Amino acid sequence: MTDYDALLNTASTMGIQMLESGAEAYRVEDSLLRLCRAYGVETTEIFAIPSLLIVSMCDPDGHSHTRVRRLYRRGTDLHQVDLLNSLCRLVCRETPPFPRVDGELARIAAGTGYPPALQLVGYAFVAAFFTPLFGGTLADACCSLVAGAAIGVLKLWMDRLRANGFFVNTLCSMAAALVAIAGVQLGAGQNLDKIIIGAFMGLVPGVAITNFMRDVLAGDLFSGITKLAESLLTATALALGAGIALSAARSIWGVI
Amino acid sequence: MMGFLTGFLLPCLYAVMACVAFCFILNQRGLLLVVSSLGGGVGWAVCLLCAFTGSDVIQYFAGAVAVALYAEAMARLLKAPATGFLVVGILPFVPGGGIYYTMEYCLSGNTQLFLSTGIHTFGVAGAVAVGLLLASSLVRLALPVFQRRSTR
Repeated sequence: MTDYDALLNTASTMGIQMLESGAEAYRVEDSLLRLCRAYGVETTEIFAIPSLLIVSMCDPDGHSHTRVRRLYRRGTDLHQVDLLNSLCRLVCRETPPFPRVDGELARIAAGTGYPPALQLVGYAFVAAFFTPLFGGTLADACCSLVAGAAIGVLKLWMDRLRANGFFVNTLCSMAAALVAIAGVQLGAGQNLDKIIIGAFMGLVPGVAITNFMRDVLAGDLFSGITKLAESLLTATALALGAGIALSAARSIWGVI
Repeated sequence: MMGFLTGFLLPCLYAVMACVAFCFILNQRGLLLVVSSLGGGVGWAVCLLCAFTGSDVIQYFAGAVAVALYAEAMARLLKAPATGFLVVGILPFVPGGGIYYTMEYCLSGNTQLFLSTGIHTFGVAGAVAVGLLLASSLVRLALPVFQRRSTR
């Protein structure tokens, strides 16, 4: 006799953690279906979109058990996606008791990303390497390094304050553009466009575009459209931020 | 020889290093960090090799196909989600430049260039997305066929 409540809780927790760390909707639905089947429940229905997870199953007496989980914040944590994926494979193979699975899930959830300092270095070097890739000089790359670091500082700080994504992206891209303008004005860099584009690359909606296509591929049009909207919004925010900085520099200080 | 170094090898190296840095943001770790970053380099190399076509839409499409094929292969080899390899490897192909220049032309009031750049950016993003889609679905269609043959 399967303990439906425990299965429901464990499955929905695993699903919500996968969604939170940026897994695609079809991966979540597929994993949870396999998980429930491994514990002998064939009547499971899963519905996942980037902001909601519904797990429902029917026991032999005809009672349905449902759990709805709402998701408010989403990020990208590829390490967690990988760990959860491996855990799901293991659980499906060995069907361990639920408390053990819950313990594993809690352990995975407690794991943190790279320390903020390293993430900052990440933002700075994404910028520094993309600038020469798009045709900037070494001096431009150095300017870009600073602009990328500015983005990193703002982004990490704003995420801690739980500011909304559109605002954060606008602000970050504005800061990057201002640093780039200052760099060019001070004579450190030559190509303003290459510096700003390089600095952008840490923020561009690459994850959203990739996952959007994978969701559409799997037939999850609902999640796909949500992510398409997300990527368009991010692109708009980036353009807006840099635009504000550029026009301010032109009209107020009369440079460039 | 110098041209090969600065025109081909260095850009690929930049792409790989940028992807490594991106892994620190997305919390990709260990072996997966190395393998997924190399995917960005592979994609960029294919993109550069297609320069003879003279169209960046085709170049980006080819690059995206290469990244997706690489990602699906590595996902099966290393038993890890393909998502990680794709997300990191596709980064160089996201049209950040297009977004910037579109905004720039909008600001300077050049409506003609603003519209054409905007549509071109959409075209590039679409080419990358379709490249991912085609390659991944082909792998999924082809793989069961091969697996059945090998077990027979």
